[in-house]
Amino acid sequence: MNKLIFVLAAAAFAQDARQIVEESQKRNRSNTQQYEGVLQVFNPNGKNSEKRWQFYRSGNYGESKALLRFVSPPEVKGVALLIVNHPDRASDQWMWLPELQRDRRVALQDRSTRFFGTDFSYEDLEERDVNQSDFKMLGEEVVDGQACWKIESAPKKGKSSQYNRVVMWFRKDIYFPVQYEMYAKDQLVRKLHYRRIEKVNGVWSALEMEMFDVRRKGRTVLKSDKLQYNVALKDELFTLQSLRRGE
Amino acid sequence: MRLLKLISWQYVRKHLLRTVLTMAGIVLGVAVFVGMHTANQSVLSAFNKTVDRIAGATQLQITAGESGFDEEVLERVQAVPGVRVAVPVIEAVVNLNLKSQGNILVLAVDMTGDRGLRDYDLEEGDDTVIEDPLVFIAQPDSLMVTREFASANGLAINSKITLAAMDGPRTFTVRGIMKSSGLTSAFGGNLAIMDIYAAQKVFGRGRKFDRIDLAGTEGTAVPDLQKQLGGMLGPGFEVESPSARGKQFESLSSVYGMLANITSLFALFIGMFIIYNSFAIAVTQRRSEIGIVRALGATRGQIQALFLTESAILGLIGAGVGLLFGLLIARAISASLGNFLGEIYGVAQKADEVSSDPRLLFGALLMGVITSVIAAWIPARAAAGVDPVQALQKGRYQQLSAGENRVRRQVAAGLFVVVFFCLFFAQNRVIFYSGYFLTVIAGLLLVPTMALWLSRGIRPVLKFLRPVEGTLAADSLIQSPRRTSGAVSALALSIALVISLGGMARASYNSIDEWMRIALNPDMFLTPTQNITDRSFRFPASFAEEIRQIPGVKYTQVVRNARILYKGNPVMFVSLDVANLRPESYLPAIQGDSKTMYRLAAEGKGFIVSDNFAELYKVKYNEPLELNTPNGRLALPVVGIVRDYSDQKGSVLLDRAVFVKYWNDDSINAVRLYLNSDTPIATMKARIEEKVAGKTRLFIFTNQDLKTYIINITDQWFGLTYIQLAVAVLVAILGIINTLTVSITDRRRELGVLQAVGALRSQVRGTIWLEAIAIGVIGLVVGLFFGSVALYYSLEMSARDIAGLRLDYTYPWGMAAGLFPVILGAALFAALGPAEQAVRGGLVEALEYE
Repeated sequence: MNKLIFVLAAAAFAQDARQIVEESQKRNRSNTQQYEGVLQVFNPNGKNSEKRWQFYRSGNYGESKALLRFVSPPEVKGVALLIVNHPDRASDQWMWLPELQRDRRVALQDRSTRFFGTDFSYEDLEERDVNQSDFKMLGEEVVDGQACWKIESAPKKGKSSQYNRVVMWFRKDIYFPVQYEMYAKDQLVRKLHYRRIEKVNGVWSALEMEMFDVRRKGRTVLKSDKLQYNVALKDELFTLQSLRRGE
Repeated sequence: MRLLKLISWQYVRKHLLRTVLTMAGIVLGVAVFVGMHTANQSVLSAFNKTVDRIAGATQLQITAGESGFDEEVLERVQAVPGVRVAVPVIEAVVNLNLKSQGNILVLAVDMTGDRGLRDYDLEEGDDTVIEDPLVFIAQPDSLMVTREFASANGLAINSKITLAAMDGPRTFTVRGIMKSSGLTSAFGGNLAIMDIYAAQKVFGRGRKFDRIDLAGTEGTAVPDLQKQLGGMLGPGFEVESPSARGKQFESLSSVYGMLANITSLFALFIGMFIIYNSFAIAVTQRRSEIGIVRALGATRGQIQALFLTESAILGLIGAGVGLLFGLLIARAISASLGNFLGEIYGVAQKADEVSSDPRLLFGALLMGVITSVIAAWIPARAAAGVDPVQALQKGRYQQLSAGENRVRRQVAAGLFVVVFFCLFFAQNRVIFYSGYFLTVIAGLLLVPTMALWLSRGIRPVLKFLRPVEGTLAADSLIQSPRRTSGAVSALALSIALVISLGGMARASYNSIDEWMRIALNPDMFLTPTQNITDRSFRFPASFAEEIRQIPGVKYTQVVRNARILYKGNPVMFVSLDVANLRPESYLPAIQGDSKTMYRLAAEGKGFIVSDNFAELYKVKYNEPLELNTPNGRLALPVVGIVRDYSDQKGSVLLDRAVFVKYWNDDSINAVRLYLNSDTPIATMKARIEEKVAGKTRLFIFTNQDLKTYIINITDQWFGLTYIQLAVAVLVAILGIINTLTVSITDRRRELGVLQAVGALRSQVRGTIWLEAIAIGVIGLVVGLFFGSVALYYSLEMSARDIAGLRLDYTYPWGMAAGLFPVILGAALFAALGPAEQAVRGGLVEALEYE
């Protein structure tokens, strides 16, 4: 009997965890998004770098498309990345190199590598549909003075990921994620922290996020300026042709 | 041991010079064997090390011959379950414009994922740039170099290097310097890493990769993955471990290895005669000692063992010294061999260190000892058979009995009959080589008889020239055919080798000359590489069209050639627009009708193969030939076999349209240019340079340039074989010196008597000189005759097992004539020391001798 109660309770918790993640995605949904990002990479040896990009996103969570194009420094100006997310599988990603005038596909196997020298990996840029993961409620904790749900996600069988599990903290008041811990082979490899959480055009957003690479001890801060939601963006913007045109 | 100390050591001490000369044959043979093989191994080992170091964690490599394959193959491979990481690679050896640096190996990889296989441990550089693969790949001029290379060239971060890219000279920026590690020591440290997509542009590869390096996921069995990938990609692709590349390189350099074997074995074979000769004479000279020892109770077995142990020790010391010399010369040979293989096969390799295989060194030692023991076997047996009573009688015992000579002649005649029948069944390799071996044995058995007859034959001539000295010299030879025949055998074998190689060279030059007249008849050749065998760079297809439009161009012919694997061997395919080929460029047909074969090939209905390809891979006319292509198996009949010297491993000619279709590749290795008769070559050269100046990497060869280049390569090839000649002549000189030294010692009493009865020193000297010249003449006559037979067998061996090329039998009369002054000069030179030794000896001592 006790066993049955435990199983039912666990199922209810699991349902809650998935519902929380779904609710979070629903609440923060927007048709489109654009911002100007500043990437600051702080290397463990003290040498830092800064890159700026323009970011555009369109579509629902899990099946969205995103384009980011670097605007500085001059060595990387014009380099762009197109991400096409799929609800049932890993995203497709293409990179555009203006100096070579050609695009190149970022292979699935390379998604765990560092994204353009930052502490993010290519996979960290993906949006994953809730159906691609299993969720588990781990409990509740306070982060940055806010009460949060602590939820663990793990890729469903057959879904590829460098992480075997990700622990996420969602603010209970606004269903917004504030912190992630990514584990590969059960070893903590990255920590992502959301800061400057504000409501922009009616959508809760983190205007600053910091990724910490536990292994290399480097950190990258991404700041968003001029963030806007639901602006008019043409579908053609998110195509290979557009990527190649450098639009 | 006691006998060794009492008898052998005393004898060696007394005849130190002769012992050294006897050993010299073994020293040379072993030195050549160790030197050439160690050099070959060093180059091979350097290649393997480069492959290993570059491979990193790579478990399998996917290639499609030299032609490369489309980018889309990478995605197919990456999608295979069990593949953890698969990355594309382009490799090219590029000539540097830096002082004393020669070539650099450019390894072009996809920096996004390549760190999954290789570790680029950086020593210095702006981390914001280097650690950021984005900047590295965003800037196509990015290059990472090794610490060794940077230090040697005074390069630092952001230094510029100019490399000759496909679109003209291009400046690259050093954006990283790698720490010394396994990877950085590849290609002797002359290694640069660049982005693969930039490399496609720089090397004119289009959207192709040279190969894919991959590693499986944890728990995936590599053989299973290999099988799975092989099945998925089809027969046009090779899925092999990195070490398999070493085997292909080995296959390319196998001809050189065979040459090294032939040279050293021949040197040892000749050395064997010198040892045999010395021991035979030593046994004769030591008859009285042997008699005493036998009388004191030594058994026959002990006497035989004594001589065999003596020869084994001699062989061991000779082989040891030879081994040291071999290692010394290996360094010099390996440097030139690396360049040479690069020139011939387009696979450059830098061998900086000599890598010696302990098994090879031990084998060489063993070979020296065995050769020496075999050579001493018959004299040792003769020593054991000495009758103590007869042995104690004074006198010379160099003469062969008439019966002994007759038996030798009869055995030789019997062997010649067998050899004659072998010729009828020579298709069988074992019978063919047995026939060759028996011919050599029969010839050697006949040497004493031939030496005797020839000695008698030249006696009147010598007498006519110098009545006293000539007669004495001739009589000395006639009375000691055993002594003479050893030196004559060694000399004759050397000369036979010279003649067979000279004949091969003559036949090769004649054939290549004829082939060049037909195959290389364009007025000019345009290539993207300095060396025509290098295929690192390729023109785009549009280049030919651009050239065609230049005023004065009559027509052009584009060539695309590359190595592909056929039955595991790297063979050359040559694709041409066959329909556009003029009849005067048709290669001479060996099988099939020229017009028909070229028509069928132009229609894409068949392959034309070279005669060496047909011979080496047993390919028959009109039978289907299957080539593996990136688009599956291409099976077409062999519509013709032609005489073609494009490649030592054989070549296959196919139509360009077939090649483009099956290999998805329209790039070009060379453009053959035919000019209008009123357009001077210099004018056309200027027009081409003006048209493409700074736009593309271009090397212009005139017809004469290319022919000179090919002749130079042929010269280099035969230059290597001339090592054999030098060794052979040197060993022969040693043989003559040895024989004369023995002859003088043997005739010390006789020479003493001559001086006692009033012979002048000049007359004694003259006798020795004439004797040497007479040995030279006899050796020449026998050798020139043996050479005619050896040439036949060499041509057959070359056709069957080395290059597959059928060359016409042409006796090198010019070379034969040239050998007379060389050998007679060498004989005279060899006689100088012994002659002086003969006249300087004390008269009393000489008369007391024996």
